[in-house]
Amino acid sequence: MFSSLFPLFLLPCVAVGALEKTHGVHPSNVAKYQVTTKGTWTCLDGSRELAWSSVNDDYCDCPDGSDEPGTSACANGTFYCRNDGHIGMSIRSSRVNDGLCEPECCDGSDEQPGVCPNLCVEIGEAYRQKMEAEMKTRRTGAKIRSTYISFAAKEKKRLEDLVATLTREVESQESEVARLQDILDRTESISAADLEFKKQSPLFESLTEHHFALKSLKREHEKLKEKEKILADILSALRGGYNPNYQDMAVLEAVRGWEEYAGLSHGDAQNEEGDDNAENSEEGKEEAEEELEEGMWSAGRLDYDLDRLINVDHVNLLLEHDKHIGDETTKSVLFDLSSYLPDLLLPQYELVRDYIVSMLETFGVARGNRDITADTSKARSAHQNAENDLRHKRNDKDDAEQELASLFDPEWFGRDGVWKKLDELCLEKDTGEYTYEICLFGEARQKPNKSAQTFSLGKFKHWNNAPGVEVGSPEYYSKQYYKGGVRCWNGPERSVTLSLTCGTENALHTVTEPEKCEYHITGTSPALCLPLEGKAPSAKKEEL
Amino acid sequence: MRLSGQLVPFTSLLFLYCSLTVSALKTGDWKTCSQSAFCRRGRALAGRAKEAGANWKSPYAIEPTSVVVAADEAAFSAAVKSSIYPDITFKLDLQVLDDGVVRVRMDEVDGLRQRYNEASNWALNSEPSVSKQIEWTVGKGDVRAVYGAKKDISVVVNFSPLKITLLRGGKEEIVLNGEGLLHLEHFRNKAEPPPAPTEVPEEGLDGEEEAQQVMEVNSASSWFEGEPDGYWEESFLSWTDKKPKGPESLSLDINFPRHGHVYGIPQHATGLSLPTTTGEDSFFDEPYRLFNADVFEYLASSPMSLYGSIPLMYAHSASSTVGVFHVVGSESWIDVAHPKDGSTNTHWVSESGILDTFLLPGPTPEDVFAQYARLTGTPVLPAHWALGYHQCRWNYVSSDDVRSVQQRFDEEDFPVDVFWLDIEYSEEHKYFIWDKKNFPDPVDMTQDVEKIARKMVVIIDPHLKRTQDYPVYKEASELGILVKPSSGEGEYEGWCWSGSSSWVDFFNPGSWDWWKKLFKTTPQENGFSWIDSTESVGIWNDMNEPSVFNGPEISMPRDNVHYGGWEHRDVHNINGMLFSNQTWQALLARSNPPKRPFVLTRSFFAGSQRFGAMWTGDNMGTWEHMAVGIKMVLANNLGGMSFSGSDVGGFFGNPEPEMLVRWYEVGAFGPFFRAHAHIDTKRREPYLLDEPYKSIIRDVLRLRYKLLPMWYTAFRETSVTGIPILRPQFVMFPKDEAGFAIDDQYYIGSSGLLVKPVTEKGATEATVYLGEKQAYYDYFTSHIHRGNQKNITVKAELHQIPLFIRGGSIIPTRERPRRSSPLMKMDPFTLRVALDDQRKARGELYLDDGETFAHEQGNFVWREFKAEASKKGKGITLSSLDLAAARPSDAVDGKALSEYRGTNDFAASVSPVKVERIVVLGLGGKPTSVSTDSGAPLEWDYYDGVAAVGKKEGVASILTIKNPGVSVSSDWNIVIE
Repeated sequence: MFSSLFPLFLLPCVAVGALEKTHGVHPSNVAKYQVTTKGTWTCLDGSRELAWSSVNDDYCDCPDGSDEPGTSACANGTFYCRNDGHIGMSIRSSRVNDGLCEPECCDGSDEQPGVCPNLCVEIGEAYRQKMEAEMKTRRTGAKIRSTYISFAAKEKKRLEDLVATLTREVESQESEVARLQDILDRTESISAADLEFKKQSPLFESLTEHHFALKSLKREHEKLKEKEKILADILSALRGGYNPNYQDMAVLEAVRGWEEYAGLSHGDAQNEEGDDNAENSEEGKEEAEEELEEGMWSAGRLDYDLDRLINVDHVNLLLEHDKHIGDETTKSVLFDLSSYLPDLLLPQYELVRDYIVSMLETFGVARGNRDITADTSKARSAHQNAENDLRHKRNDKDDAEQELASLFDPEWFGRDGVWKKLDELCLEKDTGEYTYEICLFGEARQKPNKSAQTFSLGKFKHWNNAPGVEVGSPEYYSKQYYKGGVRCWNGPERSVTLSLTCGTENALHTVTEPEKCEYHITGTSPALCLPLEGKAPSAKKEEL
Repeated sequence: MRLSGQLVPFTSLLFLYCSLTVSALKTGDWKTCSQSAFCRRGRALAGRAKEAGANWKSPYAIEPTSVVVAADEAAFSAAVKSSIYPDITFKLDLQVLDDGVVRVRMDEVDGLRQRYNEASNWALNSEPSVSKQIEWTVGKGDVRAVYGAKKDISVVVNFSPLKITLLRGGKEEIVLNGEGLLHLEHFRNKAEPPPAPTEVPEEGLDGEEEAQQVMEVNSASSWFEGEPDGYWEESFLSWTDKKPKGPESLSLDINFPRHGHVYGIPQHATGLSLPTTTGEDSFFDEPYRLFNADVFEYLASSPMSLYGSIPLMYAHSASSTVGVFHVVGSESWIDVAHPKDGSTNTHWVSESGILDTFLLPGPTPEDVFAQYARLTGTPVLPAHWALGYHQCRWNYVSSDDVRSVQQRFDEEDFPVDVFWLDIEYSEEHKYFIWDKKNFPDPVDMTQDVEKIARKMVVIIDPHLKRTQDYPVYKEASELGILVKPSSGEGEYEGWCWSGSSSWVDFFNPGSWDWWKKLFKTTPQENGFSWIDSTESVGIWNDMNEPSVFNGPEISMPRDNVHYGGWEHRDVHNINGMLFSNQTWQALLARSNPPKRPFVLTRSFFAGSQRFGAMWTGDNMGTWEHMAVGIKMVLANNLGGMSFSGSDVGGFFGNPEPEMLVRWYEVGAFGPFFRAHAHIDTKRREPYLLDEPYKSIIRDVLRLRYKLLPMWYTAFRETSVTGIPILRPQFVMFPKDEAGFAIDDQYYIGSSGLLVKPVTEKGATEATVYLGEKQAYYDYFTSHIHRGNQKNITVKAELHQIPLFIRGGSIIPTRERPRRSSPLMKMDPFTLRVALDDQRKARGELYLDDGETFAHEQGNFVWREFKAEASKKGKGITLSSLDLAAARPSDAVDGKALSEYRGTNDFAASVSPVKVERIVVLGLGGKPTSVSTDSGAPLEWDYYDGVAAVGKKEGVASILTIKNPGVSVSSDWNIVIE
């Protein structure tokens, strides 16, 4: 479009002064360019009355630039190109007579005659073809989009059914829990006093203290592990992401220190394939070296078994302990009678027995060293299991309800749920050095092609919430933001802005990093292909 | 450009992790004087002299019988002996040049080795012409020459002790060796025993210590030279300099007994009038250092060396301006002291090289600038587009990124001429080689930028990645034109952006044609050429100090070997200039007919002004750096580097919007106007800002473009006269003492524009010093201020730039906003006529095609605009005169045209360009008529305000003449009655 600048036959200013008064005027304003009987004309903003000769005389008189529609004299003016054969367009006055043929003015009217060819026939044709292609994409995309909407409808049905089922299940489980609670209460109430007494045992008290100590230690341990992991992530990111060519001594030192600490191989830190092997063998070596004292737990066992230890029901344990001690000492037949009774009679027997024993106790005849253990513990665990089950069912129900709610949440899957179909759909783009992956509504990742490592670029946070963008508008759904990824060396947490447009495929097209660790990814999705409203636009185009 | 976090210990990693810009300057990475053996020796010498007081006497003296005066020119030579080394001979050469400049040279004769004697070959534009008229007279105790139009200048060379004095009217202006600190350490053998055994002191020291003292110190030389200190080896941090040549430093005291202000010796981040470094209550403790260095996050007030060095100092007082150009290419330290008010002593110590010093007699600032320009050349006239706005960032990451940045500039209607690519365009930092993953279509991209009449500038650094798959390195290696290590064999290897790298030795003439070949845009038979570029691409030469990440002081070991066997220490400060020099030559040879090259360099030396622009390197986004950047650009202007600027926005850090706006206001009034940003910073292209900042910056950019005719005219002037483009108060008003230390406001060329950029956060007002009794018109409001050697206070809200037109000036502008400057070529002009108290004014306008050398063949327009009071009544006559026809020999640098054809091709091409508006400020009353001299009435408009004549202040009267129908390139008269 760059014509040879400024041909010598450019007309002198006198010729410019002879421009038609309506040259460059938008059709809607042409009627306003009329000379008064006094031979004057008023600026469109009404600010000044000028001689009619001042219009289009290449000198700016009106504050709104309206006296120079056809020249570049006013900095704030606009120029209208008729573009016969195509669509008329307005350009800034600063584009007029600058020696460049504006693409918006295919008729060449923005420059002196002879400078720019009239290309409106070709450009108009190309434009129509392009529009047609775009329409086609949109039509196809809109069809796919409609399947997404029906998918969402099906999902709605499925989720509603699921919620209904789960609601029923929760209800029935609730009554089951209530029943078991009742049994447990009764079992426990009989033994409560006894239990209180047992709990005063120094052994139990010490055990309780150990329990809390262990729990606290574990909490501190978890905190440290968490911190170590953050540090390790930072350092791994640094090791994988730094540019060894920059010869930043601090970075190199940090990377080498980390490699040594974590037992990674030296050398090209970005060649991770070799490192993975090294890591494995290194770990094996470490484990082999570790010798455990008698009875001490291995790190692995600590990981898996500590929770079990902490979660032991101490009351149960107390009861079992009693039982164990009881086994050692002489057993009262009375206390142990239950073993000989048929199951059928057991409940009655227990009631009677409890009654008798408590009586005896009351009178100080017998100490409460009875076998209450098996019964309470059974009732307790039955109740606990039922409660767990209830909790799970409630969680499932909550999840299903939440999913149902987000399905038509304009700030999530959209009012018509069109995006639901794409939930957790993972799209990839290979840029040579890295493959970028976005699992929609999930996480975005960067995967170096030469290593098994991945860097989180963040999780889906929100749509385009820029000021002025209406929630639910097409513009709103044109951008997804993923935030809170792994922090960069000397930089921010990685994040992604995903810009989407209508296309027949769900795909990522380009990846750029305009600022350090802030990625811009473009892509297409049929979910953005809104159905064409009627046929008016294309029909109008045909007429041109 | 450097990454942050250099040499930070591992333990501070967490700290680093927490804050973005963490480590500041590591002052420990660069030497202080006491860590540099020769500087230590130099300061110790000065110390001994001070202690000895009146008893101190220079050991150097001329052998009276050896004086030989040339028969046909103002030159003489003489043998010089030093009493401490009677066996060593020095030769002194004195010349007086045509323009009265005195050249003093001194070198050791028949020594063990040759001192480096080629610095002037690189710095000087041509061999200076020695006067045929002036004569030396040999007397009993001196040789002297008297000259000057009034025979008021004399140079006296005293024999014993050796002392060289330049006098004006019988008063000392410049004195060399007046303090007896001249010393050329002669070459010696390492095992050399102390010369000429002398008497052992009566009261010796005890035991072993005594023996050692006797061996090394108590010689005839020790009273002067002191003890041997770091002669043969010295270490700094982990580096050891082997110094195979031993001591060879050069010490010289240069005094200005009648001058209380000294300027120059760029580049340092300090005030323009150089603060003291020695003496009581000295401002700095360290001497000014000249040692080109890639100083990471430099301090905003420090005598530390920076990227470039120009060993040129001006001394100024109300009575005269003189200068000293001390041509040394090695590291130098300069102490400045004021022994008493109104006088200045300086002491220069350099690591190696001969003494080669030019005394510039002035006596006006303009004279000194011209004298220096005759030696090293004037700033080359740049391409016109290079005066537009440059948009840079480390990095625009892909060709699509470049396209979209350009698109955003156009959508938001911000003018810009140049888009820049920093190092990440290249594959593994192999310069010339595009990273095709991100820049798959470099030529298409460049052409997309060129479509809007814009240009691209691409970086080429001097370090070559040492891999055989890099043709540039491979060819250089095969040609044997790389810098050699201390062994003198093979290739020096160091680390830079590209990892393991080697450096082209541009001192080697064998590299020159090869470098030219690389820039050809067509395939070449003899190897690589840059076919992935276009003939309009400009080049950015960075890291040419040279910056070596793992080298001493982030540079090359001093014992590296260059062409001719010279050590790196000898040529260090010149090294960077040769790189931009050769790039300039290469771009010149790239196209036929040649186009004016654009080369930006970070490192520079005296003479670099012949090869393009420089910038002040990696500044920080702080208000202090913004402010000191102005002083640095002023100092660089005085050093000949008029085409200079600081990175707008600051290289490091994220400037807040207010700071960024102010920085644009600073940048728009610097000769080289570029915004740049570090890779770790947020994007800050002006269109990304919110309102009102965005619109203010758009207005600032447009103002720059409106004033381009003024800027280009100023560049023409400096390209011919060497007078800096930015002129501080002392240059404009050399007799006004109150202005000598002012370095935060300046005039632009001869335009009459005075600007005081605001560099304080939250400022709403500014004080401006007006050095004369004259009306100064606010550029934007036409308000008349009258300062008369006093400060005035003006409004300076964020959108307001304190900018004034000095009464008596005519400013040509082009007011129509365009996307880039070439698109303004046919736009009409506005003339702002600011009348002075005599109701007259004048201004100039220079135009040419802006990109070729056709102007050297007379293809240009050079006009003078005048306003003159009518002989009778209150009328004014405006006229346009052909300066080119009147003064053809002064029009173009280096081409004394004998005649000028007004019908030249360029003038013809712009003949339709008209003057669309003439604004006359400060008339005494409403005109009765405005007409051309043929009597045709013109359309005009009058606002009644304050007149230039008188004492009133307030908005001036404004006469606006609409479409006067005159061409900018023809003669015309307009009569206002």
